[in-house]
Amino acid sequence: MSAASVRAEAKRLLALSLEGGAVSADLVGAVLAALTKSRPAHQLRPLLRVYLTNIRRELARGEARIEHAGPLASADADAIAAHFSKSLGRTVRPVARRNDALLGGFRVRVGDDVTDLTASLRLANLAKSLS
Amino acid sequence: MTLLSAFLAAEPAHKAAPAAATESHGPLDDIIKLFGDFGVDGPHLLVQVINFCILAFVLYRFAIKPALGQLEERIRQAEQLQQDRAAAEAQLAAAQKTAEAKLVAASDEAVKILADARNSAKAAIEAAKAEAQAAQIDVIAKAKAAIEADRVKMMNEVRGEVSRLVVETAAKVLEQNLDDAQRARLNEAAVKQLAH
Repeated sequence: MSAASVRAEAKRLLALSLEGGAVSADLVGAVLAALTKSRPAHQLRPLLRVYLTNIRRELARGEARIEHAGPLASADADAIAAHFSKSLGRTVRPVARRNDALLGGFRVRVGDDVTDLTASLRLANLAKSLS
Repeated sequence: MTLLSAFLAAEPAHKAAPAAATESHGPLDDIIKLFGDFGVDGPHLLVQVINFCILAFVLYRFAIKPALGQLEERIRQAEQLQQDRAAAEAQLAAAQKTAEAKLVAASDEAVKILADARNSAKAAIEAAKAEAQAAQIDVIAKAKAAIEADRVKMMNEVRGEVSRLVVETAAKVLEQNLDDAQRARLNEAAVKQLAH
C-alpha cells in the first residue's frame, strides 16, 4: 500500500471510530479486531501507526488540557471547557494539570490551539517589550 | 728657311735709300729715310713681322691658349667655388634660420608642455586632495555610524539584560511569595478574562 492509500484508509477507520463526534473506545476496539482479521501483518503495521496518530489527534481535539498555577476549582475548569466547546462547536472535556512555574493563571491547549493567560507569559512579554 | 735667308741676303733698304733719295725728295721719302736711319727697312720689318707672327702664333698656340684655358678653368672653378660658397652660405643661413625657428618653436613647445604639466599636476593634486577629503568624510561618517550602531546595540543589550534580570527576579519573587489563595484569585481572574 502506498502512503497516500494508508492515510486514506486510516482516515476512513477514524471516521468509523467516532460516535457523536467523539472517539468511542468500543468502536476503536471493534475496528482493531476487524483489522487484525482482515489484513496481513505487513500491511497492518503502517496502517495502525497512522490510525493511532489520528486517534491521538482526535482525542486531543476533544480535550482542553489546562495547565494552571495554584489550585483551580473544578467549576472553573468546567467553565473553561464550556467556553471552548462553545467556540469550537464540539464537546471538549477539561484535563487539568498543576504547574506552579506558570506563577498564576492558566494555559489551555485544545488540539493545535493554545490559549495562554498565565502571569509567566505576561512577564515574558513585558521583558520582550522592554528589550 | 729659304725665304728668311732670301730676305737676309737681300740688300738693305737703307743702303738703297740714299740712291733713291738722291732721285726724289717727297715727304714719304723723308719718312722712309728716317726709318732707314733708325735701321728699319721693309724686308727686315716684314721678316720681323713674320717672325713675330710665328712667335705669336706659337706662343698663342702652345703657351697663351693653354694658359688662357687654365686661367678660364681657374676662373670658372673660382666662380663655381664662389657660387658653391654662396649656395653653401645661403643653405647655412637657411639652416640657421630653420634651426632658430625650430629652436624657438621647441622653446615655445617646451614652455607650453611645462605649463600643461604644471596645470595637470595642480589639477591632479586638487583632485587627490578632494578625493582624500571625501574619503576622510566618508570614513568619519562610517565610523560615527558604526559607533552609533554599537552604542544602540549595547544599549539594547543592556536594556534586554536588565529587563531579563528584572523579569526573572520578579518571577522568582512571585513564585516564592505567591500562596495558593493568591494563585486561585489569579486563576479566577483569568477565567473571567477568558469569558469576556
